[in-house]
Amino acid sequence: MSRIGIPRTLAYFIYFPFWKVFFEELNQEVIVSSPTTREIMDDGVRDAVTDACIPIKLYHGHVADIASQVDYIFGPRLVSVRKHGDFGTETFCPKFLGLPDMVRLSMDNIPEIIDVRVDLKQGKDEFFKVCSRVGVFLGKSEKEVKKAYHRALKVQKRFKKLLYQNIMPPDAMDILFAQGERKPLIAQPDLQIAVVGYPYVIYDDYINGRIVSLLEKENVKIYTQDMLSDKIMNRQARNIPKSMFWYFSNRAVYGALHYMQQKNIDGIIHITAFACGPDAIVDRLLEIEAKRHGQVPYLAIMVDEHTGDAGVRTRVEAFLDMLRFRKDKS
Amino acid sequence: MKISFPHMGHSYVALKWLVENTGHECIVPPEPSSRTLDLGVRHSPEFACIPFKILMGTYLEVIEKGAEVILTSGSKGPCRAGLYWVMHQYILEELDVGVKVVAFEPPLCDLKDFFQKIRWVRKTGGLSLKEFVQVLRVTWEKLKAIDEIEKLSHEIRPYETNRGETTRKLWQALDMLDAANNEVDVEDALQEGQKLLQGVSQDRSRNPLKIGIIGEIYVVLEPAANHYIQIMLGEMGVLTDRSIYLSSYTSKNTIENREGDVLEVAKPYLGEAPIGGHGANSIGETILYAQNGFDGIVQLAPFACIPEIVAKSIMPAVSRDHGIPVLTLFIDEQTSKAGVQTRLEAFVDLLDKRRQVKAKRGIERLVI
Amino acid sequence: MIKGYLGVDVGSVSTNLVVIDDQNQLLAAQYLRTSGKPIETVQKGLSAIGEDLPADVEIAGAATTGSARYLTSLIVGADVVKNEITAHAIASSALVEDVKTIIEIGGQDSKIIILREGVVTDFAMNTVCAAGTGSFLDQQASRLLISIEDFGNYALKAKNPVRIAGRCAVFAESDMVHKQQLGHNTEDIIAGLCEALVRNYMNNVGKGKEILAPVMFQGGVAANAGLVQAFNKYLGLEVVVPQHYGVMGSIGAAILAREASRKKGSTSFKGFNIQEINFKTRSFECKGCSNACEVVQFFENNELLARWGDRCGKWELQAM
Repeated sequence: MSRIGIPRTLAYFIYFPFWKVFFEELNQEVIVSSPTTREIMDDGVRDAVTDACIPIKLYHGHVADIASQVDYIFGPRLVSVRKHGDFGTETFCPKFLGLPDMVRLSMDNIPEIIDVRVDLKQGKDEFFKVCSRVGVFLGKSEKEVKKAYHRALKVQKRFKKLLYQNIMPPDAMDILFAQGERKPLIAQPDLQIAVVGYPYVIYDDYINGRIVSLLEKENVKIYTQDMLSDKIMNRQARNIPKSMFWYFSNRAVYGALHYMQQKNIDGIIHITAFACGPDAIVDRLLEIEAKRHGQVPYLAIMVDEHTGDAGVRTRVEAFLDMLRFRKDKS
Repeated sequence: MKISFPHMGHSYVALKWLVENTGHECIVPPEPSSRTLDLGVRHSPEFACIPFKILMGTYLEVIEKGAEVILTSGSKGPCRAGLYWVMHQYILEELDVGVKVVAFEPPLCDLKDFFQKIRWVRKTGGLSLKEFVQVLRVTWEKLKAIDEIEKLSHEIRPYETNRGETTRKLWQALDMLDAANNEVDVEDALQEGQKLLQGVSQDRSRNPLKIGIIGEIYVVLEPAANHYIQIMLGEMGVLTDRSIYLSSYTSKNTIENREGDVLEVAKPYLGEAPIGGHGANSIGETILYAQNGFDGIVQLAPFACIPEIVAKSIMPAVSRDHGIPVLTLFIDEQTSKAGVQTRLEAFVDLLDKRRQVKAKRGIERLVI
Repeated sequence: MIKGYLGVDVGSVSTNLVVIDDQNQLLAAQYLRTSGKPIETVQKGLSAIGEDLPADVEIAGAATTGSARYLTSLIVGADVVKNEITAHAIASSALVEDVKTIIEIGGQDSKIIILREGVVTDFAMNTVCAAGTGSFLDQQASRLLISIEDFGNYALKAKNPVRIAGRCAVFAESDMVHKQQLGHNTEDIIAGLCEALVRNYMNNVGKGKEILAPVMFQGGVAANAGLVQAFNKYLGLEVVVPQHYGVMGSIGAAILAREASRKKGSTSFKGFNIQEINFKTRSFECKGCSNACEVVQFFENNELLARWGDRCGKWELQAM
């Protein structure tokens, strides 16, 4: 049995249920890095290349957090999750493409990285093949892998179903794995706000200045792009001149556009990370689109390594005041 | 129609000819200046890279001069540049300046779209297909000739005995290429230009340091964006070679023994290629330059350039393993010429000392 | 007569002049604020250092460095012009032969230089951010109403340095104000500022560099004992602060002046009495072609001394 380390950032918030079940079914111990702390942030800033964006630095920090406790770091090279036969050239951000190499070459004393390449355009059953490669690496038989794969898929499906019921991914994971209580959904929300952005920013409480709990305390119902099915999202591709190249960016853009068209949504908050390359485009595009969708209220919050809770709070409170004022007036 | 396009090195000479001979009026984009950059910065997202900002400024300048259509290119990503036309169009629409941005996506992405746009340019100019093909052919020859002339100038400049002579001769040669109107003219102008450059008074006893210039295509190709770094180095007596030229013909010949695939040699360092832009190329080209006896590498990239950041983080390992110093210059609107010059001078001092030490020890390679 | 060699380092914040002898001994030194007027400052500095010098010293060579090195070379009559990175490396290795790392923090920029066996193998300079430079401490000192000279002593008295976060000066300042509001004492805040500066420096300029001892710490900021302590703590070794930490760039230039003038057999040095000379720069836009280069002309008493700024070399005129 090996100990497999999974950094609690980047794709974790969307794909963790699958990999947790997959590895555990293969008799591996899964160790997740702790939720982001100042120390993790500091380690990341120290280890990663200066010019990198905050999420990439954070990833380095999470790797450092578990490096000494595990035999392997599970850090797949995420290239594309477009399905085979699907027209399009969507990939992940170039930094994701080079991430295993960046980590390997800029950090000392880290365990071997399982950097299996995930490029689902390659063929119909590519995802199973990816899992097989991981299984073979761990010395497992095809039969064992198949069993683990199907179990994991089932759990991932349940996870997605929970998301589609407007449950936030961290809460959904609690329900799946920690027998957590279902948080009661806000029955009579004051406001309904779509929070869009990258999962590793909007679901990471430390880096985003606890914006989610802040909004919940203010009796706001939160929607995110991850609560929408692919079908709903992909419809939005037609509404912009050209889609983004990057998977997570397209999700944020499609999600935001969808919510801009929903009558019940009072405003959009886009959380973006400092020095994120794609967001230089995404953010301006959303700003202009919000204007064109009949002046939908739009707030962009850029988070970085020292976004204090206070800074986020001020901006969010002002935004909520503005929305309430608008509502009262109409 | 009044047509314009992005400014990129000397390519405007060929593109101007293309537009004019397709039956349109050409608004030649001015060389990017501080005004261009100011205009661009004012209307661009803060974290867009400098090529985006310069192009934004250039578009606003050509619009002032009356441009109605801007021809530009897209790409299939994942470098941001492939989406720039989308954002430029959004922003220009918001500014309500009444200009049309027409972007040519690579034909492999959308063949129909590509030919429709080409056809539109041709038809509105009133050219037959046959005439148009001929115009394209001459344009292509011009592009190749421009690159060849420029490449030769970088080979000669470190030997020149009167500062600026090479640059002056290069401009004369470009003027001659500008005046050429058919394939024979272009060929003649090219030969004439090469003769001019070879006629520059030179001290061939020098043994210049050799520096390879790698990085992101726009800041590598546009001297106004990189503070004329190749001329600056040339006038310091350094021979520079760069991996990227606009015409792919020359790009195949820029590094000797370039048959070995650039991306292939990058593999041990970067398991995925391409990663967008020239990120993977930068790794591979550094290795090839080292193997071809170059003394150092200057990596040029816009500040916040995604693929080059990946390359930069891997570069220390490449530099160490192949014993070649690398100076990375990330360029943004705050980069000053003096800052670039100081770093280059120190880098050249470093390379010079290394060469002396190497010669003294008589060893092949000094690993730092 | 004793032979002296003049080194002038003109940066954006300060102008330093030194004269050394054949044994690298400092014969005289001057520190001035550049205050945006490099020409006047250099003139003033030259006349002052001339007065300081013993009568039996004769200047046998001169060199300039720093961001205004080219302009200054025309005023001084320099035998060699060198960039400040190389100048610092030269000075440090003359002092500590096997120095392997140089940390230099000046008013508006900071650098790291890596040497192996006396040869520079790598270097880096800060980019646009001021958080890793001296001006950052200056600003915070004036905010705390403490003179920058006392800064270090406060830091040394700290028991629990507070953590001040900040990628850049503005953020660090707001975090510092926040910590003040929480009631931390001044000593701990100052020590925290020193640690923040070191962290920023290491995360930017020093990123990925192999830092081996001996490490020299120089530049005006090295006067600050709090920073020295913070570097020692971060690096886990003792940094060496050279006696003349503030003028290492000009010492490097002076050493280069000695080498150059020996090779040349003479010096172009114009003397100390140049205060009466009227130096002026004027520029015009060349109309020779569409490039419209801004050509800068440099005059000495209305006599054209040099011209630069043109890309084609048409106006080329240089004194040296």
